[in-house]
Amino acid sequence: MQKVIETLLIGLSTGSIYALMSLALVLVWRSTRVVNFAQAGQAMLSTYIGFEIASRSEIFWLGLVFAIAAGALVGAGVDYFFMRVLFKHATSGPAAVVAPVIATLGLLGLIRSIVGLTWGGEFKSIEAPASTDGFSVGDGTIPFSDLDVLIIATVSIILIAVAYIFQRTNLGLALRASAYAPEIAQLAGIRTARTRTIGWSIAGAVGGVAGMLVTSNNFLSPYSLDLLLVFGFIAAVIGGLESMVGSVIGALVLGIGLTFILNYVGTSLVFIGGFSVLILVLLIKPDGIMAKGKARRA
Amino acid sequence: MRKKIAIFILIGWALLIIGDRVDELRVYQGAQVAMYTIALASIVLLTGYSGQVSLGNGAMMAVGGYGAALTLNNLGTPIWFAFLMAIVTASLFGALLGAAAARVSGPYLAGTTLALAVGLPAIANQFAFLGGEPGLFFDVGFPPERFGDEFTQYKWFFWIACFIALIALFITSNILSSRFGRTWKAIRGNSLAAELCGVHSSRMKVLAFTVSSGLAGLAGAVLAMTISLVAPGAYGLALSFALVTGAVLAGISSLPGVVLGALILVFIPEISVALADRLGDADKLNNYLPGLIVSVLLILSVIFTPNGPGENLRKHLHKKPAH
Repeated sequence: MQKVIETLLIGLSTGSIYALMSLALVLVWRSTRVVNFAQAGQAMLSTYIGFEIASRSEIFWLGLVFAIAAGALVGAGVDYFFMRVLFKHATSGPAAVVAPVIATLGLLGLIRSIVGLTWGGEFKSIEAPASTDGFSVGDGTIPFSDLDVLIIATVSIILIAVAYIFQRTNLGLALRASAYAPEIAQLAGIRTARTRTIGWSIAGAVGGVAGMLVTSNNFLSPYSLDLLLVFGFIAAVIGGLESMVGSVIGALVLGIGLTFILNYVGTSLVFIGGFSVLILVLLIKPDGIMAKGKARRA
Repeated sequence: MRKKIAIFILIGWALLIIGDRVDELRVYQGAQVAMYTIALASIVLLTGYSGQVSLGNGAMMAVGGYGAALTLNNLGTPIWFAFLMAIVTASLFGALLGAAAARVSGPYLAGTTLALAVGLPAIANQFAFLGGEPGLFFDVGFPPERFGDEFTQYKWFFWIACFIALIALFITSNILSSRFGRTWKAIRGNSLAAELCGVHSSRMKVLAFTVSSGLAGLAGAVLAMTISLVAPGAYGLALSFALVTGAVLAGISSLPGVVLGALILVFIPEISVALADRLGDADKLNNYLPGLIVSVLLILSVIFTPNGPGENLRKHLHKKPAH
């Protein structure tokens, strides 16, 4: 019984990090209709910047603040300098549909090589802001630690902040309107292009937090966030790609499910488990768990 | 049709002559070009024609490579049968994956194939019969005795690779100009309109992914032959990225363009090594410069010539006789 509870808790902590990545993907998908595969790269660049600050100042939270700022800047930059140009140029012909996705792929490669050229390929680690020793329960200790509590708390704060922005501010209304019906939003006086850039920068900031948190009890390398991207994508698909709430629920479910596999079956099956979940969701409920009404045909 | 066959035979004959005139390194690179040609054809078929994106055709190549290696090592069959099994394995795998991800419209195929490419090492390590990290040997054997002592191993690879590439391109070009190619183009253009014309669009999309996977698998077996090995490292994310780049550079919907794309992909490492030597600090540069060149080329071409350099040229020519 105790093992079940500790698996649940660890799963919650893992899943909450996936939630940030999947939220970042959903934010961009809603506004731009692109799954931003460069999100892993953006988060990685922000995390490297956060790592520099955190290791120089020896304050994790300062690093996190810088990672958020860097993520927001990079996100806005990607939309402003690449996506806008792209949508202006690639408007017709056989490549028009696929150009944005391919461009995000190119950006992922570009950021990865820039990071590799700057910081090298060695594994870096960020000193965790809290103890990674598990709590002691009765005679033994469980793997759930102070750090996990902090991760869950940080993610909750970020999620509440994002929810507040979207539900309670004019900016949030503009973001939702221009994602839902860009032309009507434009008629209502919203600068949709600028709003979209803001959306990208929120997604970038959220991704930066995800990168910092996942690195705080792991290592950082130019490839270390690829798996986070994949699990974030799977979580977003579980949630139906459209719904922010769905993506968070999907991420928690995925995180808990994968931790159960990790604890009860073995490390090696974690990826295959996640991949099977993706295939199953696509086969059974391609619109995700949050879908209402009739499912999309074909 | 007869003209097409004649052209392909002529190209084959020219390749044989060229193969005799150049040194070993170029012959080896020639085999690589042939391999990339097949792999890029799989992207052109999938992305350029049916309008779907796969970010994991490198992983599909791995499936083909493993299929061929398992066949050859365990059953001791002739080489041609191993290559055939590469196509069969990869198509079957592609059909299964496509039935889930290519059926639904949206970014699902891109994401699923990306996941596959990222997780390939984990999957290969999971199943003992795939040989884990070191992978499996894949040895097509020495060239036949009757070609003489002068005939090197690399030239044998070159011959096999070119022969396979020519056949594969011939068949692909026929598929693309057949009913299927036209239907795929129709779906890419407007899937709703295509459905109104009686096209079963999700079925056709799964079919496109299946055929594309088969081609990729064949390319994967050829790659395995040139490095005598099937290991997850050779088929990583970088390979999948390179394939997309090569296809976009050469014009995503142009089959003849794949040869140009393949040439660029083979020579990027060489250019990058030359650049790295000039710039110093070889270690970091050698690791990341090829990736940098590939991604910069990809971004530039997708922004400025998304439909390939050919299209811009055509536009330019059409502009002149303006009314």
